[in-house]
Amino acid sequence: MADEKKAEGHCNEGNEACEANERIQEHLKFSKIKVKPPKLTGEINIPDLNPNSMFEVKPQLLTAKEMLAHLGYPTDGLIPNWKEVFLRKMDEMLKKYRSVRLYMDICVKCGACVDKCHYYLGTGDPLNMPVARQELMRKVYRRYFTLPGKLFGSRFVNGSDLSEELLVMWYTYFYQCSECRRCSVFCPYGIDTAEITMAAREILNSVGIVQKYLHEIIFKAQTIGNNLGMQQNAIINALEFVQDELQEETGLDIKVPIDVEGADVLFVTPSADFFASPHIESLYGYAKVFHQAGISWTMSTHASEGGNFGMFVHNYEHMKKINKRIWEAARDLKVKRVVGGECGHMWRVLSSFSNTMWGPFDYLDQNYKRPQHICEVTLDLLNRGALKIDKSANEEFIVTMHDSCQVARGMELGGVPNGQFDIPRDVIRGVCDKFVDMPAETIRERTFCCGAGQGLLGDDMMATRVKGAMPRMQAYHYAKRESGVNFVALICAICKAQLSKMFPEYGIAMEEVGGIHQLVGRAIVLGAKEGV
Amino acid sequence: MNGIINGIKFMVDMYVSGIVYTACLVFVAGFLWKMYFVYYKTPQPLKIPQTPQPTTLPGVIMRMAGDVLFFRSLSKGTTLLFIAGWVFHFTFFLMLIRHLRYFVYPIPNWINGLGNSALVIATLLMAALIILVARRYLDKKVSYVTSFADYFALLLIMGIVQSGIMMHYERFRPDIVEIKAFMFELMEFKTPFLVMIMHPHHAPGNPLFITHLSLVALLLIYFPFSKLMHSGGYFFSPTRNMINNAREVRYINPWDKG
Ligand code: SF4
Ligand code: SF4
Ligand code: SF4
Repeated sequence: MADEKKAEGHCNEGNEACEANERIQEHLKFSKIKVKPPKLTGEINIPDLNPNSMFEVKPQLLTAKEMLAHLGYPTDGLIPNWKEVFLRKMDEMLKKYRSVRLYMDICVKCGACVDKCHYYLGTGDPLNMPVARQELMRKVYRRYFTLPGKLFGSRFVNGSDLSEELLVMWYTYFYQCSECRRCSVFCPYGIDTAEITMAAREILNSVGIVQKYLHEIIFKAQTIGNNLGMQQNAIINALEFVQDELQEETGLDIKVPIDVEGADVLFVTPSADFFASPHIESLYGYAKVFHQAGISWTMSTHASEGGNFGMFVHNYEHMKKINKRIWEAARDLKVKRVVGGECGHMWRVLSSFSNTMWGPFDYLDQNYKRPQHICEVTLDLLNRGALKIDKSANEEFIVTMHDSCQVARGMELGGVPNGQFDIPRDVIRGVCDKFVDMPAETIRERTFCCGAGQGLLGDDMMATRVKGAMPRMQAYHYAKRESGVNFVALICAICKAQLSKMFPEYGIAMEEVGGIHQLVGRAIVLGAKEGV
Repeated sequence: MNGIINGIKFMVDMYVSGIVYTACLVFVAGFLWKMYFVYYKTPQPLKIPQTPQPTTLPGVIMRMAGDVLFFRSLSKGTTLLFIAGWVFHFTFFLMLIRHLRYFVYPIPNWINGLGNSALVIATLLMAALIILVARRYLDKKVSYVTSFADYFALLLIMGIVQSGIMMHYERFRPDIVEIKAFMFELMEFKTPFLVMIMHPHHAPGNPLFITHLSLVALLLIYFPFSKLMHSGGYFFSPTRNMINNAREVRYINPWDKG
C-alpha cells in the first residue's frame, strides 16, 4: 500500500522510511551531463585536486521490479531498515572475502596510489583517488567494525556514521571505478580497490540501490543467456549472417557452426561479437582461423555469452550462475576443449574463476583441461606454420596494442610469466609488419583502462567514460604523433565498444579501433591447406 | 621523607615493569589474534593474484621477498616515497637489531659492530621520518587522505627516535649497565609474578630512558589495532601471495567447495 504511494511520489505524513527513499531517489536521479574531452597533447598530466567535480555524475538506477526480484534485491528502492541490512551485508562481505577484510585493515595511506587511477587523472576529483575511494568504505569499517569505533564513535576513529549522504557518496564513487586494478600494481601491499568496489556495490544492492546498466545485463545473461538479451533464433540468424558474409567475401565454404554435437572446440565469446562493430570483424577472424587450421568447432546458443558481468559485484552466485551455461554447453555438446574469444573480464572469469566454480573439467580432453584463449590457439598455429599468412594485407596499418586490464593484471596466458602481454603481441607481429608500443607507463601491467570497464559502459555514464579515457587517448595520440600509429588492436569487447566511441569524441577516426583477430582475419591466406 | 622517596621509587618501578609487560602482552596477543583469526581465518574465495603473477611457488616467494626487502611494488611509483619509505624501514630494522644488545649476553660481534654507526643510522632514520611527515603535509593529494592517526604513528616513532638519540649524549646518558641488568631481570620467569604481587625489581630512574620506554610501550599497544598491521598483513594479501595457476590447479573456495 505504502509502495503505491511511493510510486506516485507522495508519502504518508510521518512515514520516515518512505521519505528517506524519496530523498535518495531524488539525489541519485540521473541527469544528462555533457563533458568535453580534453585536448590531445600526448602528455598525461597529474591534475590538481578538484573537489566534487564528478559528484553530479549518477548512473541510472534499476527500477524494473521483475529484474530486481529475480536478482534477489529490494524492488522499491531504499528499504526502511536499510542501516541494519547494510551493516549485515558488510559484515558478510568482511567474513567471506579475505581481500576485503585485509584491505580494510592494512592501508597505510602512503599515497602511492593517489595518481594512478585513470578516473582521477581524467577528473581531478579527490574521491577518485583509489585510497580515497577505499576510505569511503573504510570509514564505515572503522566506525562499526573496530573496537575503538564501537566504543568511542566515528569522531574518534575518523569514521562515518551511516547516513543518506554516505549512500549517495558510495553510489557516486563506487560507480566511478572500473575495477581495473591499476592502483593495486603500485600499492606496497597490493591493496586491490576493485575488491572493495565490488563489495561496496553489493552492499548498495542489498539496501535497494542498484545500478541499471550492469544489473540489467546480469539479469539478461542469467535468464536469456546473453548480455544483449538475444533469443536463440536471433543468435542463429546473426551467426548465419556472419557465415553468409564470410562465404560471399571469400568464395569458400567457411562455416560458423552452431550447436554441433561432438565438435572438438566449444567457442565462447562476448555476444557483442555477433554483430557490433568492430567486434564482428574479429569473429570473421576466429572463423577463418578455425577453418584454415581445420579445427572442428562450434558455438552454442545455450552459452551464447562469454562475458560475465557477475564478476563486477561481489555476488558469487550471480557470476557462478552465468558461468554455468558454458560448462553445461561443453558437456552437452561433448566437446574436447573450450576456447574463448577476445574479452577482458570474460577471460578473468574463465581462466581464474571458472575452475573454482565449476571444475574440475575432467570431461574435457586432458591435454586441454583448461580453457584456452584464442590468442594462445592462434599463436600456436602460427608458430607451427599451420596458417599461411600474408602480412601485406595489413600493410596500411602501423599497429599498437591496448592491454586490457583484466587480462593484463588478472590472468596468465600460455603458462609463462608475461604471457598475457607477449602472446597477443606475438600474434600481432605474426600478421603485421609494423608494430609499435605506446609509452611504457601506459601498457602491460601498467596499462590504463579504456575508461568504461566493469559496468561503466552505459550511455548514461558518458561523463565518466570520456574523462576516464583520457590517459589511454593521450598515450595513443603520442604513439600516433611519434610513430605514425594508425590502429589500436584490442582483446576486449568492452574496450572495443568504448574506444570506438571515444576515438571520434577525441577527434580520431573510429576505424583505427579493432580486434587482434580482425588483423589475423585479414592476413590469413585461405584455400590451399598446408596441413596442421 | 625517606618514606615518600621510597613510595615514588616503588611507583616508578611498578610503572616501568607494568608497561613493559602490558605492552608485550597486548602486542603479542593482538598481533597473533589479528594474523590468525582475522587474516588467516577469513576465507579467500577466488584466485586474484596480480601481475607479475608468478606461476610457481618459488616465484611467489621471490616476488614477495622483492616486495618486503626492496619495496618492489612501491618502487614503481613515486621515487621520493620509495626512497624515504625504504630508508625508514631499513634503518628502523637496524636499530631494532642494535637493541638486541640489551637482551642478549654475550653480545655477538656483529651487533657491537652496528653500535659504532648507530648515530648515523638513527640520524638517517630521523631524516626519513621528517621527509615522510613533510610529504604527508605538503603533497595535496596525500594530505587529503591523511588523518590524525597517520601523523600519530609517525610522530610517535619520531618521539622514540628522538629520545633515543638524546640518550646518546653525555648529559642525558642513563646507566647502560643498570638498564641491561634490569632488562635481564624482566626476562626472568618469576619477575612478572613478582610485579603482580607488587614486588617489582628496581628500575633505572633516568627520565629520558623512562620516556623512551613509555613511547615504545605505547607503540606496541597501538600496533595491533592500527595500520601498522601492514607488517604482518602483507603476507596474507591475496593479490600478492597467490600462485597464478588457476587453470592448472583447481582452487577451492572455502565456502563453496562444490
Ligand atoms: S598505495 Fe596502498 S597502502 Fe598506499 S595509500 Fe594506496 S592503498 Fe593505501
Ligand atoms: S581499480 Fe582502477 S578504476 Fe578503480 S580505483 Fe583503482 S585504478 Fe581507479
Ligand atoms: S573494458 Fe577493457 S580496458 Fe576497460 S576495464 Fe575492461 S578490460 Fe580493462
